This record gives sequence, C-alpha cells and structure tokens, in this order.
Amino acid sequence: MERITTGIIDDPASNRFLVPRRVFTDRAVFEREYAAIFDTCWLYLGHASELPAPGSFVTRKVARRPILFTRDRDGEFHALFNACPHRGATVCRERSGKSPAFMCLYHGWTFGSDGHLKTLPGSSGYPEGFKTDPQKQMVHVPRMERFGDFFFISFARDGEDLATYLAGAGDYLKLVSEHSASGMQIVGGTQEYAIRGNWKLLSENSFDGYHAACNHSTYLEYLKSANGALSATPLAGEAFDLGNGHAVVEYSAPWGRPIASWVPLWGEEGKAEIDGVYAELVSRVGAPRADRIARKNRNMVIFPNLVVNDIMAITVRTYFPTAPDYMEINAWALAPREESEWRRKYRLYNFTEFLGPGGFATPDDVEAIEKCQQGYATAGDALYNDISKGMIRSDAPSFDDEAQMRCFWREWDRRVTAAKVMADA
Amino acid sequence: MIDDTLMLRLRVEDLLFEEADLLDSWRLKEWLALYTEDAWYHVPPSDVDGDTADPDTSLFYIIDDAVRMRERVSRLSKIGAHSEHPRSKVRHIVSNLRVRRDGAVIRARSSFIIYRSKDITSDAFVGHYIHEIVERDGALRIAGKKCVLDMEALRPHARISIIL
Repeated sequence: MERITTGIIDDPASNRFLVPRRVFTDRAVFEREYAAIFDTCWLYLGHASELPAPGSFVTRKVARRPILFTRDRDGEFHALFNACPHRGATVCRERSGKSPAFMCLYHGWTFGSDGHLKTLPGSSGYPEGFKTDPQKQMVHVPRMERFGDFFFISFARDGEDLATYLAGAGDYLKLVSEHSASGMQIVGGTQEYAIRGNWKLLSENSFDGYHAACNHSTYLEYLKSANGALSATPLAGEAFDLGNGHAVVEYSAPWGRPIASWVPLWGEEGKAEIDGVYAELVSRVGAPRADRIARKNRNMVIFPNLVVNDIMAITVRTYFPTAPDYMEINAWALAPREESEWRRKYRLYNFTEFLGPGGFATPDDVEAIEKCQQGYATAGDALYNDISKGMIRSDAPSFDDEAQMRCFWREWDRRVTAAKVMADA
Repeated sequence: MIDDTLMLRLRVEDLLFEEADLLDSWRLKEWLALYTEDAWYHVPPSDVDGDTADPDTSLFYIIDDAVRMRERVSRLSKIGAHSEHPRSKVRHIVSNLRVRRDGAVIRARSSFIIYRSKDITSDAFVGHYIHEIVERDGALRIAGKKCVLDMEALRPHARISIIL
C-alpha cells in the first residue's frame, strides 16, 4: 500500500487544527481506512438483549462482512462469518429469530448455533474426519468481547483487549447501563438509513454541540411551542477526552428526558412517575451520580463509529462506509428492561421528536452532511475544514467547542499513518 | 347502478387523491385540515411487521399525534427546516384502494409510490397506506394514517423530511 500522509495540521501553539478535505473524497484514503481502522479496531456488533434466549440469532453487516450473531443452546454468544465453508453461500438468510440450526440453501450443510457442522448430506462421498475438520465449520470472527451487555468484535487476531481499548468510554457505557436496576435492552424496531456523505462527517456531527443553535433551530422552536415555553435549563456543559479517540460531551439541555427530566408535553400523570424514577435512582447510585444520569445529556463517540447518545432518549448508532461518499447507518433505541407502559411510550415518542430520518432534527443533520460532501467537490483554494474551535481556551473545553472532534481526528490520523500498516506496504 | 360499497370507495379515493395533491403542492395547512383534531400519523421501520407494529412498544420513524402533526407542518414552513428548504419536488401516486366499514370507522388500504427529488438525488418511497377515516358532518375526515414502507431499509434514502 502506498504511503499516505493525511495532511492534518494540528498546531496548538497557533490554535490551528485543519483537516484536508481530500480525506472525505479520496478512494485511497477510504481503502486505507478499512485496512487501518475497520479491519483492526473493536467494532460494535450488538447488545445482549437482542439475543434473549438460547437459539436466538441476528444477522447484520459489520465493516462490509456478513455476520451471524447467535446464542448456542448453553446460552453462549458467538459471532460467526455468515458464509458456508463449502461454497461460501450466506447460511442464515433471515434478519433475526430463534433456531437450533442453520441450513445452507445450496447443498444442505447444516450448522449449530456455535457454527459446528451438524449435518453433512452425502457424507459417504467424503473421507473419515471430514465433518469434524476445523476448516469445514463456520468461521468465528477472530475476536469477540463484551463490555456489560455491549458486544464488540475485531477482525484482527491480536491487539489490546476491549476494556483497554474502550479506556474512559467504559465508564460512560456503565453510566448508560445504570438507568435502571432491571438492566437495559434494545427496543424492537431499527432505523436503517443512509447518508450520501463520508462516514467521518457523522462521527463529527454526532457530538457536535456547536451546530445545535443554527442547524436545529426548528427543533428548539418546536420544544418551546409544544411545551408552552422553553425550559429554563440552558444548553451548557463540557467535552471530555476519553482516550484512544473516544470522546464525549456532557451537558444540560432544555428537552425532556424519560429519566427524571419531565416536560409539560408529557402531561401531569407522568410527573409523579418521573419523580419516582429519580428517587429510585438516588437510592441506588447516590445523589451525585443520579443527578448526572438523570439531568445531564451525553453524546459519545467510541472510535471509530459507535455513537451512544443519551439525550431526549438513548440511541445506539453505528455506520459503515461503502464508498468515500456513502454510508449505511443502523440506529436503535436503548431503554430500561422494565419500565411502565407510560414511560416506554413517551420514551419512544421523545426519541422520534428529534432522532432519526423522520425526526425534527436528524433530517437537517443529514442535509448538512450531504451539503459538506457536495462542497468538497469544489476543491479550489478552500482545501481544509477548520476544527479549531476552543483551542484558544485555557480552561475546560465547552460542549460546543470542537475538542471532542480533535480527539477523533488525532486517533484517525495516528491509525491511518501507523507504522504497522506502513510495514505491510 | 352504483352500489354503496363502490360509492364509498369513490368518496375515499377522492379524499386520498385530494391528500396527495395537497402534499405534492406543499399546501400543508390544508392537508392538516383533512384530519380530525385528535388524528395521528405513523411510519414504522422496515424490520417489524408494519401492519401490526405498535409505536408504544416499538421504535418507529414517525409517531406523530395531532400536536406533533401541527408542529411538523409549522416546522416545514420555516427556512430553518434545512432539509426541505429549498423545497423538494414531491409526487404521490396512490392506487389499489380497498375500503371497508368497521363500525363508525372506514378502513382504507392502498398502495403508494412517492418520489422526492432535490439537488442531485431522486428517491422513491414504496409502500402501503392504512387510513382510518370517519364521517364528520357528512364529510370524510382522516382520523389517522399509517405508512408502511414495503422496503428492506430506508436506503439509499437519508430522511423522511417530506410528509409521506
């Protein structure tokens, strides 16, 4: 592979942070990203609640690869490449379900939930030991680890363990798991959409506090109109570097949160229930952490492409590029395993007011990302994106600075130009 | 002779064609007036059974009650609704209508293809409508509509910034 210099200008002494626009358009950069990032980093696969029982399975694509995520009859989790060892056909062709075995449609080779070859039609045509040959079993993804109920995979055989990789992001995953004593679950229904823009623009956008006032003015006006007035809670907070390219903004905001930040739109009935939720939270985790969980919003990006945004609802979002200017996004809602019908209803109602392709905000994020991508075609003299906001500050970075994005870009730069990848050239 | 069932279908067809026309011509306040005061507008995602999915228990794309429908129309009238400013070109094709009475409610199922075109792209939304319609003072009003996308995912689409 040809040597790549990313060309990022990171110059704290003169408060300059510039990202060259070719990193969003260049095919060589895109291929390098697969080799240096998606083929080596820990990537989000799914949540334990999506496989509730032995035999449960889901199929999904991770970094261009078809994956079969299963639980075997003992309840153990497996991440398998969803391709038959015989001729390579997709073995499981359903999105999700429950099955003790998976039969390949082509010649009927049938595999257990742990990937082992259970049934081999016409086995007399094969030598002894063929059926148990390791090469005739479905192949496990090289590494799978869980952090709480969040499952990650890595296509690299070696590397740091998941907890080390997550660094400071681990505590934030814990925080979002503490919303309920009953644990958390993915609610049924997936938002599956696409953006005609480079994937890194969504990493940036997912924790960009600076764009809210302009890009989402109509959402803020909706809050004001639907609730009678905008809540007194201001948009204010900080950004934190969580290490290894992960970062978070943690801030207060004027919208309702189904964990103890009630808004008039939900009606008086809900107020008493939300008060009760908060009381339970305080008794379980103590007042300081309860206050943080309930009243602070968090937009976190776990490098490279896992977003866990705990805002007016909780979304887990991941996205993969198929080209420099196109990405596919999957987004889920995370919620307490046990909550009242009222609270679940308003959680989902709240989710859709802002989030997703039909919300009052995401379409405008999409518009911004797509317009950026179109702008990069101009090239000309404006060769760089400016990511310097807040570099001038000597105190903590504000939620609406760009320090969190600089964390992302420094890690991206480090990996894309990494020595090990260079050695492979 | 036109029997009652056929007459009802023609009346509902008129209503759905009127709705399509108002949406295509961005007369959104008039569109809203086709609906009852307590109406709803839902769009489920494509990985659930859209006909039976419940927005109280499943994540949807759109769960609008009457308040949010009004807010949606208000939002789309603003230049700050960047995704639809400038406005996209929209065309709703409605067909295959079936209608039946269910007590006081008229249940209508129809097929749709909706094109949204803007800038460099033109996306088609394919699916079926489930309308709940009621009679108010001799006129038909829509009490709710569910737009079930007969698509594997919302791709390459990035948004449902128009009203389906």
